[in-house]
Amino acid sequence: MLIDEKGIRTDGRKWNELRPIKMEVGVLKNADGSCYIEFGKNKIMVAVYGPKEVHPRHMALSDRCLLRCRYHMSPFSTTTRKNPAPSRREIEISKVLREALEPSLILEDYPRTAIDVFVEILQSDGGSRCAGITAASVALADAGINMRDLVSAVAVGKVDGKIVLDLNDVEDKEGEADMPVAIMPNLNRVTLFQFEGILTKEEFEKAYELALKSVKKIYKIQREALYEKYFEGEVKVE
Amino acid sequence: MSMVKRSAIVDKLRRKRMLELLAEGKRIDGRGPLDYRKLEVEIGAIEKAEGSALVTLGNTKVVAGVKVKVEEPFPDTPDKGILIVNAEVLPVASAYAEPGPPDENAIELSRVTDRGVRASGMVDLSKLVIVEGKWVYSIFVDVSVLNTDGNLFDATSYAVVSALLNAKIPKYVFEDGEVKETGEVMPLPISNVPISVTMASIEDKLVVDPNGEEEGVMDARLTLVVDEEGRLCAGQKGGSGSLRPEKLMEAVEIAINKSKEIRKVIEEAVKVGKA
Amino acid sequence: MVKRKYVVPGDLIVEGDLRASTNTFKTGNRIYSLRVGLAEIGNGSVRVIPLSGTYIPRVGDVVVGEVIDISAFAWQLDINSCFYGYLTAQSVFGRGYSPSKYNLSNKFKIGDLLLAKIQSFDRTRDPMLSISGPGLGPIERGVVIKVNAMKVPRLIGKKGSMIRLIESATKCKVILGQNGVIVVSGEPDGVSKAIEIIRLVESKAHLAELNRMVKELIDSWGVRDADR
Repeated sequence: MLIDEKGIRTDGRKWNELRPIKMEVGVLKNADGSCYIEFGKNKIMVAVYGPKEVHPRHMALSDRCLLRCRYHMSPFSTTTRKNPAPSRREIEISKVLREALEPSLILEDYPRTAIDVFVEILQSDGGSRCAGITAASVALADAGINMRDLVSAVAVGKVDGKIVLDLNDVEDKEGEADMPVAIMPNLNRVTLFQFEGILTKEEFEKAYELALKSVKKIYKIQREALYEKYFEGEVKVE
Repeated sequence: MSMVKRSAIVDKLRRKRMLELLAEGKRIDGRGPLDYRKLEVEIGAIEKAEGSALVTLGNTKVVAGVKVKVEEPFPDTPDKGILIVNAEVLPVASAYAEPGPPDENAIELSRVTDRGVRASGMVDLSKLVIVEGKWVYSIFVDVSVLNTDGNLFDATSYAVVSALLNAKIPKYVFEDGEVKETGEVMPLPISNVPISVTMASIEDKLVVDPNGEEEGVMDARLTLVVDEEGRLCAGQKGGSGSLRPEKLMEAVEIAINKSKEIRKVIEEAVKVGKA
Repeated sequence: MVKRKYVVPGDLIVEGDLRASTNTFKTGNRIYSLRVGLAEIGNGSVRVIPLSGTYIPRVGDVVVGEVIDISAFAWQLDINSCFYGYLTAQSVFGRGYSPSKYNLSNKFKIGDLLLAKIQSFDRTRDPMLSISGPGLGPIERGVVIKVNAMKVPRLIGKKGSMIRLIESATKCKVILGQNGVIVVSGEPDGVSKAIEIIRLVESKAHLAELNRMVKELIDSWGVRDADR
């Protein structure tokens, strides 16, 4: 039983409620851009280095910047110790994360250089890739990379036969479906979509619409975090 | 996928040509947007494997083989057998595929294929237990990509699914404190058949079963896996572009329809293979 | 009349028949920001003054660079960017330069600081530097500090007003590279004060009342010094 008879989830949320989210921009002094995010029990640090010279040299692209992403879980981030070597899951997530961020960046503006995005999961909960993308996009803005839009991400899924927003750890593991989605909110374009589980077409549509709607709330938090650092939060975010 | 040599100028010209053709509902190889290339499934191609299938989709060619071992179950699932799907792009597959450990593309290919098989519940793993918590069947499906010309995701998935449908695995029993081979064989406990449908999005125009040239210029790849009841069971966007939100629901519609057609081809091939 | 607005990437700055200038992009008649910064709308165009980012060379910029490598034909300089700057031996010694006649490290050594101009730079080649021009060349003394290159325009101020204010208030010489590398020289007390002002400008670059804040800081020293 992950949802009780009153429709309340294990952590006290309703079906369409997000977990508490906290973001802080510019927390790492050495990085060109950085962002720390707490998303439910997720604690994630993102650092952006670049644009910078490419090593090894032969990897440089003559017409645009080389974007590299690494999603990595700290050994202590999970209940049982996680082997620090990158797993196949982490390699796949690193790839989809890069592909989720790339559409927002104008990489052609920085030929022959590289941008590295490091997403370090210090403590993991459900939805760490979405929280990671959300923080990484803000860290890229902090690094002052030319970008057309921010990228905001959230997962939806099915738990105890019901479509729910923002799956936590248990819901992620024991739920019937999980669908992480990332969009560029102003341009209204999908940059990440993954799905696992069983959904009818109608359920799929309902879940997807929920993701598209809810991601705007994440976007608002991203803007507030950037305003807080750059404009001392003194200007109201519309 | 980095399986084709890329040239910025050639890609730009090719993309322009493709968009001109797509405006008229045509593709560079003469297909319509929703046409698959010729799909051939040869069952039991590798006799030493417990199950196998050679899939040819246009010029893309992959072979999958099933092997079985008896092992200890994973500690968190003592009451379930083990299923492992692994795909590799061999150096024979293209001039630009390199030997070595699987790169991120091959890992994504393996994991998305695995996701469809696993989420659909295709193999009932609870029936692959010999002694709970001690001995279970471990089913390995390894896929070798032999030639690449786009849409490795569907070709790999069809090969895996066909090989699993075709597999006859040795039967083991637990007797006198040890696991023994009985000499008999049994089919795998199959409870669903997932069908993968992959599309390329080029400036928000969807085409199914993209070939290598189309993948070279696409904005995004979209794979959706549909089960026997027409439900969705796995999905993945790949590629460094984006797509309009409503395109995903259009893709779902296409996937549900196309999966019926592909399902027939695979079922037919398996039937012929068994006869 | 110029209208100002705080923006983050993807923010719609304005809709209308205006020219999308630096750090903005236009789709239809909507102009969006590419950066975190201060949008300025006026005189028929829209631009964003960014508040973060790495220094990207522009032809004509004057930068402070440090020699990090020497080959037979050029000095390689770290110019606080994702690109290295190159100063060719020919541009320093003239056309008659030959590697057999000159030793480059007799002129500038690794670790030397140079004030140089970006002579050429494009998408395909690294920036080429030149030290011919008034004030350009080796920097002999001073304390080096780095600020975000995007804040340099505020440090210069309107027609150089801010930098002149800093120099006159602290009796220091301030060499300001557009790449965010600054060299301050003078009496130790003055240098400390100059750095304090520079850090204040850097952290408050987005605020309209920046000038007032700087003057208040300087005035507070004036009172203290007068007490002595």
